[in-house]
Amino acid sequence: MTHSITENPKQSHGLSAREVSFAHGRATVLAGIDFDIEEGEFVSLLGPSGCGKTTLLRLLAGLETPATGNISWKTRPITGPSLDRGVVFQDYSLFPWMTLRKNLSTALAKSHPEMDKRWRLDLADQYLEMVGLADSIGKYPFELSGGMQQRGAIARTLAMGSPVLLMDEPFGALDPVNRARLQDLVLDVWSGVTPRKTVVFVTHDIEEALYLSSRVIMLGASPGRIIDQIQVSFPRPRSRAQLLDSGAFQELRGRIAARFRQDVNNSCESESLVGHAEGI
Amino acid sequence: MSVMTDIPSKSKIVFTSAAPPRSVCITVPNGKRLWHGKEGILFLLGMLALWQAVSGCIHFSSKYLFPTPLVTARALWQSLPELLKGTGSSFVILAPGYLLAVLAGVVWGLLVGTIPALHRMFSPFARFASPVPPTVYIPYAIALLPTFRMAAGFVVFIGAFWPVFLNTCTGAAALPQRYRDNARILGFTRGEYLWRIVLPASLPHIFSGMGVGLVFSFIMLTVAELFGASAGLGRFVQLYADYADYPRMVAGIFYTGFVVLLSVELLEQIKKRALFWVK
Repeated sequence: MTHSITENPKQSHGLSAREVSFAHGRATVLAGIDFDIEEGEFVSLLGPSGCGKTTLLRLLAGLETPATGNISWKTRPITGPSLDRGVVFQDYSLFPWMTLRKNLSTALAKSHPEMDKRWRLDLADQYLEMVGLADSIGKYPFELSGGMQQRGAIARTLAMGSPVLLMDEPFGALDPVNRARLQDLVLDVWSGVTPRKTVVFVTHDIEEALYLSSRVIMLGASPGRIIDQIQVSFPRPRSRAQLLDSGAFQELRGRIAARFRQDVNNSCESESLVGHAEGI
Repeated sequence: MSVMTDIPSKSKIVFTSAAPPRSVCITVPNGKRLWHGKEGILFLLGMLALWQAVSGCIHFSSKYLFPTPLVTARALWQSLPELLKGTGSSFVILAPGYLLAVLAGVVWGLLVGTIPALHRMFSPFARFASPVPPTVYIPYAIALLPTFRMAAGFVVFIGAFWPVFLNTCTGAAALPQRYRDNARILGFTRGEYLWRIVLPASLPHIFSGMGVGLVFSFIMLTVAELFGASAGLGRFVQLYADYADYPRMVAGIFYTGFVVLLSVELLEQIKKRALFWVK
């Protein structure tokens, strides 16, 4: 079932993971993770909680180092965080002691050190305007709703101009309306710029993964591993209402759900076998 | 870390016993709305009445040993110029010692709290040195240092340093992971990380250390002044105790209480402004 995008791993010019594993102490979190994500691709990492998808994203970000295997961006190994890869976390990652504008301009000072300070503030304002926060530029995070804070975090990451966006369940804590709005915002940004940004989007929501991405990498739990990869070839721009009602969408959603159920059943069986063996 | 973190909490207990919450909230049944919210003032009035009653009724060997409120108030009024001068003299010692302690405690606390090697190096010493009651340094500091001001300033520094340092260190070490991750993602240098992220994020801890440290500095200062000052609040109380002028002495105690209260209140206002973003 696994679709290999590139036959020769050396030719990959996007994000690549080769036989990556990761462990917390003696507990294996991820094992045998192997994939290539092309430049400009929108990929979802989909899986139940506890499957290590956040850990995988942190590895891609360079916040963690794999126990074995290696991860690279444009054939260069990832050894630590870099401004190449912007990250949006689930919990609102703005600094609460800075205004929105200050949050953005502080980040811009790192990503665009050569830029004049006034231009940085202008750029910060432009991005805040783009995510619909024009009226809240001078506000502090505590004065904003969760959805607005997450918009600010997205604006900050976008303003930094990283070619790669790593998003860790960025809309997990939002209400459905805000969630849909921000999904569309991310899609607009992704399809609106050339060259397109490479997006890795972590979620546990099948519909979200299918609506947003071009490919879904499915992760199973204990240990976290890739159980399947599915191309999502619905034409873009996608209309939420039409897509969610379409038979093709529902069929794909059903297939993915079934695949996860199968994986859970398998691992339950193997777990009980292991338990039995340990008992002896 | 565990031992280092429980030291400030000990000092916090000292702090809360020294400055109890001003209005204790007791739920009152609907019928007694008159009292509601005024319990603190009522208690103080009750204490005043008790004081008046006791000092008026009970016969002491000297009638001035336990002066009435009125006599004390008059003594306070008469000594006010002297007390104000003493306050100035006290603050000349207190302010440099305390501010230096805050500066050193915050800088060193941020470094020790964020650099594990430094933490391993310093925490055994801190574990040993921080619980030593700083008052025991006073006689030696007076003997060792050339002037009384230096000696008193030194013990004020010691008294304020440990609470500020330990709290800052705890705050820096307890930095939420998301701030650390964000700082790494944004590529902050160590200096930027400490200044822009760790310092503001630790401010709630730092201010609680500064509060404890401030009360400690006053204790250290007045005790030091009992030993060998020529002026100051502690000296005032000691002087009139020696002269058996108890109305003035009691007035000095009250006045010192007011000064500490005002200082703590000032710090509280600064804290409120600095921590407006904490919700």
